[in-house]
Amino acid sequence: MTRLTDLPPAQAQRLAELECPDFATRPWVSGAALSRRRVAIVSSAGLVVRGEDPFRGRDPDYRVIPAETKREDLLISHISINFDRTGFQEDWNVVFPLDRLNELAAEGAIGSVAQTHYSFMGATDPVQMEPHARELAGRLKQDAVTAVILSPV
Amino acid sequence: MSALGHYLEEEGIATVAISLIRPQTENTKPPRALWVPFELGRPFGPPSNPAFQRRVILAALRLLERASGPVIIEDFAEEDPRAQPEPGWHPPPIPAASVDGSAEALAARLESEIPLLQGAHDRWFTRHGRTAIGLSALGIADCGRYVADWVRGKAPASPRDGFSAPLMLRFAVDDVKAYYLEAGAGAEKPSSRQLGDWLWNETAAGAAIHALRTACLASEDERLKLIAGNFMVPAARVRSAS
Repeated sequence: MTRLTDLPPAQAQRLAELECPDFATRPWVSGAALSRRRVAIVSSAGLVVRGEDPFRGRDPDYRVIPAETKREDLLISHISINFDRTGFQEDWNVVFPLDRLNELAAEGAIGSVAQTHYSFMGATDPVQMEPHARELAGRLKQDAVTAVILSPV
Repeated sequence: MSALGHYLEEEGIATVAISLIRPQTENTKPPRALWVPFELGRPFGPPSNPAFQRRVILAALRLLERASGPVIIEDFAEEDPRAQPEPGWHPPPIPAASVDGSAEALAARLESEIPLLQGAHDRWFTRHGRTAIGLSALGIADCGRYVADWVRGKAPASPRDGFSAPLMLRFAVDDVKAYYLEAGAGAEKPSSRQLGDWLWNETAAGAAIHALRTACLASEDERLKLIAGNFMVPAARVRSAS
């Protein structure tokens, strides 16, 4: 059990007040009904496909998770050890809800599921991530993705 | 997470974020976010509960159909039912802790305890079909030996090309913890707090990792001190003496 209130007060406060860039814009992209959207997962859990290079620290780049990745081949390499991992250990959908997205696509609640999903390492300074995130947007467009669900830990 | 949403949305991709820390989301003001009242590490709620997870993901995705914004921050009302302790859960049996708290005794206990849990870990794998062990790319017995040698103060060389010894220590400790948390559950469904209480208070692994943290914090190797201070024992489990 690791809610924010379970952490030592100083650490809880640091997380709650984590600095973030002061963005000058407030972007807003509208789009089609959910039943016509193509959805990708972008996680900040430091996810990595087994056998590939884990995140080693506050790496600013991202890892690629193909849709055909097997549930037994997805690992967490986030540098923080202060969040629960037992949920993900039992069921990857707790962090990476690919099975749920596939079910929603099969029944028509969403249009389709992206061919590729992605993970960053969430403890990284967002400013360092920015060029990688903008480059990732190009990849998502190539896959015709029209909605991203952002999954933290 | 919210910053990623900002960058992607600026590039023309609609996003919705799950929020686990509401004050952080309020500060960063993403285009759309669904705050969930779950423990950190569980953005879509309880494991092995597809119906619940579906409600979370649909509540988030439906924010994409809202006509007005930014900023949208909504709250998901349901609590995670798996946050409650499982009264019938019993951890796998292991020998009681020895009174000998020397580094050698701790290391030897860790090495002998790991194979005792193999049956429980097999039950876990049979039930869930996956394991989160793997960052070190070592087998669990080798992981245990590597960590045990650090507990003994040997500072063993890295067994993996391209990975420094302190980094391998971090990944080996991660894998040992993953093994215990999976074996501790076996075929049952204890809460994360129950599993953590067992790992950190009752097992040789918990005692060894606590001792290793204390020893490494006294090292002159700054990288080792960083690993020990941040990546071994969760902040909520650090003892005042360690």
